[in-house]
Amino acid sequence: MVVQKEKKTINRLKSMYPLRAKVNETYLKSIEAIQAGKPAVWAMLNFYYGDPILKAMDIEVVYPENYGAIAAAMGVARQYLDRADAEGFPTHLCGYSLTTLGYASRMMKELKGQIPPEAPLGGMPKPLFLMSSAAICDARYKWFQALGRYMDVPVWPLEAPIPGIKEFFIEGYYDKMVKLGVKHLRDFVTFVEKMVGKKMDWDKLDKTANLMIEVNRVWHQVNELRKARPCPMHSRDFWSAMPAALFLAGDLEDSLRLYQDMYREVKDRVDNHVGAIPDEEYRLLFAELPPWHSLAFFDKLAERGWDFVIESVGYHPPIPVVLSQISDPLERITKFSLQFLVGYYEDARKQNVLGGTTAYPYLKYANEWKCDGALLHPLISCRSASTHLPYVSDMLMEKLKVPSLSIEGDIVDLRLFNPEEALAKAEPFEETMDYYRKMRKQERFDW
Amino acid sequence: MYFAGVDIGSTMTKVVLMDRAGNLLSFIKGPTGAEHRRLANEVMREALEKASLQIDDISYIVATGYGRLNVPFADCQITELSCHARGVSSLFPNARTAIDIGGQDAKSMKIDNGRLVNFVMNDKCAAGTGRFLEVTATTLAIKLGEMGAISLKATKKIQISNLCTIFAQQEVVALLSRGEKLENILAGLHDALTSRVAALARRLGIEPDLVLTGGVAKNIGMVEAMKQNLGCEIFVPEEPLLTGALGAAILAKETYVKAAAAGEALPTKSRRLEKATFFSQEYR
Amino acid sequence: MSGKNKGLSKAREIYLNRSQRARELKAAGKKIIGYPCVYVPLEMLTALDLVPYQTCGDMKEPVTEADRALPHAFCPIMRNCLHCALKGKNDFLEGMVTIHSCDPQEKTARVWESYTKYPYFHFIDMPITVRPEAVEYFKGQLDDFRKTLEVFTGKKLSKDRLEVATKSHNRQRALVTELYELTKSSPPLISGTEIVQVVKALTSLPVAEGNDLLIETISEVKKRTAGPEKKSARLLIWSSTLDDTDIMQVFEAKANVVMNESCGGVRAYRGEVKLTADPLEGLADYYLNEITCARTFRQATLGETRKDYARDLQSRFGYLRGAIRDWRINGVIMLLVRYCDPFAFEMPSLKDYLNSIGIPSIYIEYDYTVGALAPMRTRVEAFIETISQQ
Repeated sequence: MVVQKEKKTINRLKSMYPLRAKVNETYLKSIEAIQAGKPAVWAMLNFYYGDPILKAMDIEVVYPENYGAIAAAMGVARQYLDRADAEGFPTHLCGYSLTTLGYASRMMKELKGQIPPEAPLGGMPKPLFLMSSAAICDARYKWFQALGRYMDVPVWPLEAPIPGIKEFFIEGYYDKMVKLGVKHLRDFVTFVEKMVGKKMDWDKLDKTANLMIEVNRVWHQVNELRKARPCPMHSRDFWSAMPAALFLAGDLEDSLRLYQDMYREVKDRVDNHVGAIPDEEYRLLFAELPPWHSLAFFDKLAERGWDFVIESVGYHPPIPVVLSQISDPLERITKFSLQFLVGYYEDARKQNVLGGTTAYPYLKYANEWKCDGALLHPLISCRSASTHLPYVSDMLMEKLKVPSLSIEGDIVDLRLFNPEEALAKAEPFEETMDYYRKMRKQERFDW
Repeated sequence: MYFAGVDIGSTMTKVVLMDRAGNLLSFIKGPTGAEHRRLANEVMREALEKASLQIDDISYIVATGYGRLNVPFADCQITELSCHARGVSSLFPNARTAIDIGGQDAKSMKIDNGRLVNFVMNDKCAAGTGRFLEVTATTLAIKLGEMGAISLKATKKIQISNLCTIFAQQEVVALLSRGEKLENILAGLHDALTSRVAALARRLGIEPDLVLTGGVAKNIGMVEAMKQNLGCEIFVPEEPLLTGALGAAILAKETYVKAAAAGEALPTKSRRLEKATFFSQEYR
Repeated sequence: MSGKNKGLSKAREIYLNRSQRARELKAAGKKIIGYPCVYVPLEMLTALDLVPYQTCGDMKEPVTEADRALPHAFCPIMRNCLHCALKGKNDFLEGMVTIHSCDPQEKTARVWESYTKYPYFHFIDMPITVRPEAVEYFKGQLDDFRKTLEVFTGKKLSKDRLEVATKSHNRQRALVTELYELTKSSPPLISGTEIVQVVKALTSLPVAEGNDLLIETISEVKKRTAGPEKKSARLLIWSSTLDDTDIMQVFEAKANVVMNESCGGVRAYRGEVKLTADPLEGLADYYLNEITCARTFRQATLGETRKDYARDLQSRFGYLRGAIRDWRINGVIMLLVRYCDPFAFEMPSLKDYLNSIGIPSIYIEYDYTVGALAPMRTRVEAFIETISQQ
């Protein structure tokens, strides 16, 4: 039998590999540390707000959201979903939350606190406390509260204010957001100190905050380089390389060096007109969460000349902002975290786009990264990653004559994403993109 | 003294007539259909004829099922959940869980002391109901009644991955064209349907004895799949479609006898056997 | 509006034609401001002589207009509300005040503002906890709300004006509490259906007119000789919002609904706003702490470092115990719309709490369409059958 090698059309960045490997290494080191008795905390994506505190306190962090994706990819999610169903949780709830609730029920009720033997990659241990976040959606902070049925561990939900685009410009508004953020974080530090039984090392926090900001600044610059034609870096590289910056994985100084390497490599490609795919016919943006288990799908599209040049605004670093003059690290962290949300507000207001703080950035992306089309991926059980998509589609067409293609999937029921079906839609969509290119030309757009 | 239970389901209408001692005098089942929902009186007439009784002989009538509001001559309406629970426990005194899989819905009932104490229902998704098998029978051009026997011949475990009844059919066709054997595919489908129902039932917990009713209970392949999936003995009544009407008749008897013993007057409806209309003011 | 209808018949009339009074007031020169959620502090609108009007959905409406900007997997109530707005049912409004109570409210607010052209639109942000800095933040939000209101009306929202308005709204809360006293008896003197009509009427009228309606209704009901029939079950309905009589009728076919713990029932009317030196402080404190919506994160002790599930349940749901005892409730229906996350996550814990105090409960999910009523009826009736045996 001839072994077919997977055709690799996408020219992956060399500098991506160590960044991707770093995430796995960090994860495995974390498992070791936990098994050796180090306290672990269950957390969730919190946009640079709570993570630096935990990092400075040298706490191992487990992310059930990410574990949900792993469980799904490894085909073990179903039993936890069924368990959550049996526990009475309505089935429309976020697949990651149901996976975790089922897992917690199995671990605590059935196995009296022992990690389930079938859990892949070492499972998740009973945590010291739970750190949730109001950012992104309600499900996230309600989910960790619901875990209280199985684990008597304290919960700290991090606040995440979300202004209206117009209202944000009322005098004093921003300052009040910062005031909330700083006070809240200070109380959180006190809480963590009590939980782990040691004081915060403020110098370490200072350093961690600075590194976090700098790592993300460099990472932001890398992505700006992708505006070039042909685009030097594909979305697949973005998704592989971003966890280190978003989740502050491992040693931050090491990460900084790796992202600097990546900047150099990408700059080099730009200077030499080297693209991420051999023949860039179409430039696409992708929203919102990628089908982690089926990324080879993008290679198939690359064979057709589809280069994915920008994506997933929820994972992108904030627009850089100068914070070095601020002496209080908690204020620096708060402002950096808020920047993730409000960095686009000035532009959004100018463009009069009010719909969804996650929607406007796609307008900027399509315009500045010169996108011919948008691939939208609504997920049945993740509403917060899907609700803004019809609005994005509408906005891109109305303002930029950029068409969108919508392909459904789910975060844990991976059967819902059908790559064959998706590819079948690619050809007709190419005709759509060709057509709108002509339309844009008529309207004097420059791509 | 006689009592009647009328169960108007989405696919079948059933009537059970019973005497004071609890003996079944007759039972009838006929397809409900669009028109028949209004024609409970016809089915009742047939049952009375069979038992050589007149409508005036019936002391108390309970209607149940999806169409229970369309029985103008019924004295009282009780949900099919309570009626199934009662009917099942009269046939199987040790029953603590009853699962009914009908044409368009599936329900699990918890029974204690012969009565319904808790329940959970699915009537949103065809994938956990008899419809799942009906659609498949059409796709495969085989008789619904033969599916069970064929599936028992399976030699290989096949997983049907699609959640949705319609998409599952596409998968079935794809499997056939790949050369998979019919009996293996059918076993896989029974397994898929069973796991949906099991997930529903587990919300209440499954306590033996477990009784399976409804049209799907006549499918031996399903009974076998459920035994395997739930890991326990499954009891099936001789007439799995009748437990609702049976329970309704028993509840009719119990209600009447209890009221008579307490010297209470029980409101009853007129014993005119006529079609249901949408404007009948007799419903409370 | 016919002046001759009073009390319950007036409430019924308004329920069937909600916007009539608002349209009359608009014609007479008043400005009507819409709000989709009871977390919006109406006192601030009343204080500036604006008429608050709750923008509700309509279960009987086939929702089509919302498809433009909201996916199908989304709170069906908010989809419905948006649909009604885009269809022009609220065209008498001068503006909208939206608020970040839950995701659907927040996301629909943006869409609402983008697709409609009211002269006034304001979005209030809300924190998720009730920590001191959170209440402070919320107060700041209300202060910014005050600023845009002042620009819009050209009037100052003075402390005096706000106090007068707060007293009027507190009076309404007290009157609704008094009305609910009349469901304590067996049978209750007023039905759940009738109260839904009254509350709907309150959300369609200026506060003073609503208070008059309540006074008439309470007096009428107290004198009643032919009230609701006694049924075997006395129910509490726990829901996000329950403001449709068709749903209530499904419950009341075989039960007496004596407490409606939802935004179409008692939730917006508990307790009272304290009259503080800075009136916005009393408002921020009241709305964040007193409204018992699942979206707000509560814990037994703020920032607790130890956790006990039973204590946690008591802190979150203990307020129901008194009502269950005093209204002699023997069953709770947890009624949720599909895709409602805060309430869905809350529900198993509430069930645990109700089990711990020995009250049977059932979870019923629906999709805010008329088609949901028949399956609901079967479940409700089966539940009543099980609790009636005890």
